This record gives sequence, C-alpha cells and structure tokens, in this order.
Amino acid sequence: MTVNGSKICILIALMAVLTYLPRAIPAVLVDKLKFGPKINKFLNLIPYTAMAALIFPGVFTVDSDNYAIGIVGVAAAALLAWRKCPVMVCVLAAIAVDFALYMFVFPLGV
Amino acid sequence: MTKSVKSDGNKLNCYIDGLRAGVPLILGYVPAAIAYALIARQAGFTVWQTCAMSMFVFTGAGQMLAVGMYARGASMAAILIATTLLGLRHIIMSICCMNRPSMRKEKTAPKLMAAFGITDESFSVFCTVDDSKANVRFLIGVFAEIWLSWNVGTLIGALSSDFLPAIVTASLSIALYAMFTALLTPELTHNGRLALLVLMTAVCNTILGLVISPSWALIISTLVCAFIGVFFVDLGTEGENDSERQ
Repeated sequence: MTVNGSKICILIALMAVLTYLPRAIPAVLVDKLKFGPKINKFLNLIPYTAMAALIFPGVFTVDSDNYAIGIVGVAAAALLAWRKCPVMVCVLAAIAVDFALYMFVFPLGV
Repeated sequence: MTKSVKSDGNKLNCYIDGLRAGVPLILGYVPAAIAYALIARQAGFTVWQTCAMSMFVFTGAGQMLAVGMYARGASMAAILIATTLLGLRHIIMSICCMNRPSMRKEKTAPKLMAAFGITDESFSVFCTVDDSKANVRFLIGVFAEIWLSWNVGTLIGALSSDFLPAIVTASLSIALYAMFTALLTPELTHNGRLALLVLMTAVCNTILGLVISPSWALIISTLVCAFIGVFFVDLGTEGENDSERQ
C-alpha cells in the first residue's frame, strides 16, 4: 500500500471513531440521568431550534448564484406542509419548483 | 404506551414505520453521496477508500469537508479537528433522541447501534414523530434506509462520473432543506410562540454565522435559543412531563 493509501485508511479509521463518539456517548449516559421538567422542556425545544439553524442560513446558498432557488423551493415546501401535505409531497414539490426555475428562469451553463 | 411485551408483528411495524418516514430522505442522500464520491475520487481517493469512508464514517457534511480539505492539501490533524468540530452538534441531537420516553427504557446495545445512524436528517425525523412511534426500532429503520441510500449513492459516484443531468442534480439539492421545512412547519402553525422561537433561531444563526465558524454558530444558536424558549414557549404539558411518565 502506498504512503498516501495508508494515510487515508488511518484518516478514515480516526474519523469513524471521532464522529461516532458524540453520537454514542448519549446512548450510554442519558438513561442514567434524570432530567427535571425545565431541562426536559429545553431538550424538547432543541429539535425546533436545531432545524431552524439547519435551514437558515444554508438555504440561501443552495445555489449561491441565485438565492431564489433556495428560498422559493423551501417556500413551496412550507406552503404544502401548512396545507397538511405529507413530507414526501412537500419535498417533491420543492424539487419540481426548482426544476422549473432552472428550466425557465435561471438556465444552467449558458 | 409502556407495554413491556410486544409481539414480533408490532416490532416489525416499528421498523416499517421508520422505513416509511425515511423515504423522503433518499432523495436528498443519493445525490449528495454522488457529489461526495466525485470529490473524493478527484482528491485521489481510490474507489474502495471512497466507499469505506461512507460505510464507516457515515456523516454527510463531515465526509464532504474531509475530502475537500484533503484535495487542498490540508494536514491530517486539521482534517480531523474540522470534522470532529462539525460532528459535535450530534452530541446535542443524540441526547434529544435518547431522551425520548421509550428510548430511555431501551437496552444500551440497540441504542448504540441506532446512535451510528443519527444524522441531522434522521434526528429531525425522529424528534418530530409522536411519542408512541419514537422507539429504537423506528430509528434503526430510518438508519438502515439512509445508510443504504448514502452508500449506494457513494458507489454510483465512485464508479461512474456524474450521470445525472446537471439540472436534475441542481434541483435535488433543495431536497434536504425542503424536508426540514416540511417537518418543522406543521408544528408551528398551531403554536405562534414556537414559530417566533424558530424565527429567532434562524436570524441568530444567520448573523452568528457571519462572525464565527458555521459549525459553532449552529451549536450556539441551537442551545441558546432553546434555553430562551424555555421561558416563553409552551409545548403543552406533554413536553414537560416526560420524566414523570416513566
């Protein structure tokens, strides 16, 4: 194996350990801890704040040349989700809307 | 909800619920994995190394960052520090997953297995599903599905060049954001204060991201805003009594 080859293998092994640990430690510890109602409320709010942070600001740079791609796509998903459509329908609609935008408004590679 | 004896049919249904909830994720994972594999191959990874990383590391953004840095000649230490920092947010996400009432009662071994499947996406799906469904088998079902999608996508990208037309790849890049939005929106329509908290977090993370690294910005805005939310958002009694119900 070349020097670079073994270097990459070591990198993969170390990354595997270092990225698994943060996910694994709570699996062992959480059921041994007892959280009060305030802490539980804090933990129950985290999914909402985390999702907000995962969407923004990343969505603005889905296509960093055309901010509209991210914003309009997500707006379509939000509208349908608000109208109680299943998640899959919202996702497909967002993809279709962006596809249409690329077809007619922001042509690629021209 | 606390039936200790469940029939095998019930258990199977839990896996199937997870698989079903994970279907929209496939649309996001496969093209992202193809993109990762193309960058990895350009960076000088062999097909096997490209695939091994997806199998054993299984962290979308982390892998993308690692191969991107490798291509630019970054040192091993720098790559490890950057990807570990990026992975730190999964501590928070894993705590939320493991704190769901039926997860707390589960044995450690299946939880350790499910933990490997915790990503931004599976966390979002798992933490928005009803308490009655949020058990370890559901999470393993989602995990199996996204792990497979991620690795099939990696294999496609590592072996072939990009076979999808550019317009399809470009359109698919909205998929994960659309899924986060679709999971989040229904929870906000009947809770104005929660919607306000989400808006606040979005603004906070956007501004913070301009000043500090995006990985830290995400962790800090998630924690700080959830903390602030404790004082003014009402999740209903359900949310606050998890520990009493055991």
